[in-house]
Amino acid sequence: MGPNEDVPLNRSDQRSPIARARAVWRVRKILWLLVVRDLKVTYAGSALGYVWTVLDPLLMCSVYWFVFTQVFPRGAGEEPYIIFLVAGVLAWNWFTSSVNESAKALRASRKLVKSTDLPREIWILQVVMSKGCEYVMSLPVLVAFMLIYQKSVNIYILTLPLAMAIQFVLLTGIGLLLAPLIVLVRDLERLIKVMLRLGFYASPVLYSVDRVPESYQWIYVVNPMGDLLQLYRSGIFGDLMNWGHVGIAAAFSTAVFALGWFVFARLERTALKEI
Amino acid sequence: MPTQTTGATDSALAEPVISVDGLSVRFHKSRRNRSVRDLLFKGQSGVRAGEFWALRRVTFDVQHGEAIGVIGRNGQGKSTLLKALAGVLMPDDGTVEVRGGVAPLIEITGGFVGDLTVRDNITLTAGLHGMNKEQVAGCFDDIVEFAEIENFLDAPYKHLSSGMRVRVAFAVVSRLEEPILLVDEVLAVGDRAFREKCWERIEELIDDGRTLFLVSHNARDLKRFCSRGLYMQEGKLIMDAPIAEVLEQYHADSDEAAELRREQVSKRKEDRERAIADDPSTVGESNDGTSSRETRNKDKKAERPRRVDDDDDDYDTY
Repeated sequence: MGPNEDVPLNRSDQRSPIARARAVWRVRKILWLLVVRDLKVTYAGSALGYVWTVLDPLLMCSVYWFVFTQVFPRGAGEEPYIIFLVAGVLAWNWFTSSVNESAKALRASRKLVKSTDLPREIWILQVVMSKGCEYVMSLPVLVAFMLIYQKSVNIYILTLPLAMAIQFVLLTGIGLLLAPLIVLVRDLERLIKVMLRLGFYASPVLYSVDRVPESYQWIYVVNPMGDLLQLYRSGIFGDLMNWGHVGIAAAFSTAVFALGWFVFARLERTALKEI
Repeated sequence: MPTQTTGATDSALAEPVISVDGLSVRFHKSRRNRSVRDLLFKGQSGVRAGEFWALRRVTFDVQHGEAIGVIGRNGQGKSTLLKALAGVLMPDDGTVEVRGGVAPLIEITGGFVGDLTVRDNITLTAGLHGMNKEQVAGCFDDIVEFAEIENFLDAPYKHLSSGMRVRVAFAVVSRLEEPILLVDEVLAVGDRAFREKCWERIEELIDDGRTLFLVSHNARDLKRFCSRGLYMQEGKLIMDAPIAEVLEQYHADSDEAAELRREQVSKRKEDRERAIADDPSTVGESNDGTSSRETRNKDKKAERPRRVDDDDDDYDTY
């Protein structure tokens, strides 16, 4: 077998992004079916079902609320703090659960990956979307607190879909990037867990960016989740709105998405053999 | 042995439903010596250390309605070939063109979720394989009847026995209206009666004009369904001929291997006896540990063909 025999004739990782996107679009119904299946499993598998979607962030928020209003009464964000907190924690939960699970997506659905020739991107999209649905279904927690505190929304609440769209692009990019890598390099799973924990404190989930010393504030501008959390909250706390930062988040997310898709396309072949 | 390209069906006029051209797939023996940077930025041509070709330059065409048996010993590339046809493995070289949908009876229980009911699972899996709601509703009763699962429709899938799980899965996947059917020894599970039912179903589908790809070690099944045989050895397609001829060759090769093995075994036995006769004290002593382990390994290797050439074995023996 000389090297000349090995000239690749046709490789599907050289399919254009448009062809790949079309392939995904063709199976959108199946993708939706998978999302519904995920939600069914989440809510059929446990006795309390939907209650967990609400209870989980509620319990977490009550801990943070206690620490930051009772133990350290200096205040960390906008008032009422609990609303500021819940708005951030819910979005962050979507981020962290989606990154965690989409990274493992190819391995987790390996039986399906190995028995159907659906475009492999959908295993990542499935996770991001079903986690997104869970996010939407947890929003009543926020609404409940706003009713309790008589806090009303402002015009920026209309940017909620925009924030979700940017986060969706960002999460899909991260998932596409990590899913094949994690198949090839198992250790990444641990690294991701650590990075997410770091990310939690490096993002303005518990506190507001303007409490951070000015010299460090650029971190939150560069961090797309920092900008997104501000955008999510701007519908309730109007002074947090900053269109420039939204632009940065959108650009960053698009870049991550492009990188993720490129890596996914390149590693797909190898990853398929390893799962 | 030269590659024979006898067309079992020489209808060269029609466009082949499957064309495989120079298909090659490479696997890694070890996970070491690879960096992610390599994978991303270097071309992947050529076999590097620790790699081997699971499929090498496999070329053939399949006409509509052909039934093809894939034959070869374990680890010679049969399943890899099927996976490449199913599109769940991507070729490292060459092309696979499949015109028309594929119903892969590979890992058929893959789409099923333990926590959901059998009913939900049937609907979901059928949908996953591309059936729309009306189609699912149309054949739901057939599926249930075929799987003989009426009484367990609302039980969680995980409560079913493994045989029942395969039944449900087979019932769903064999209902798919795809023109190409890939079967990879899935029927090794399940009781005799159900297996026969499955074969009858497959027969029905063949009569219906579907194209069949069957991987099996069972000569009877291969003869029953297939007209054309592909013989795989070390990732290469070494023979493409009518099934009877391919089976004959396969048996001849296996017998040859068995004969060789028998010779080796008896030769080793002789050697051992001679050694004992020469110096009985050395046998079984600890400083001889390495060489005796080697012999044992060789024995194991030599044993392998026995299972394979025993082609008339029933699945029950698996």
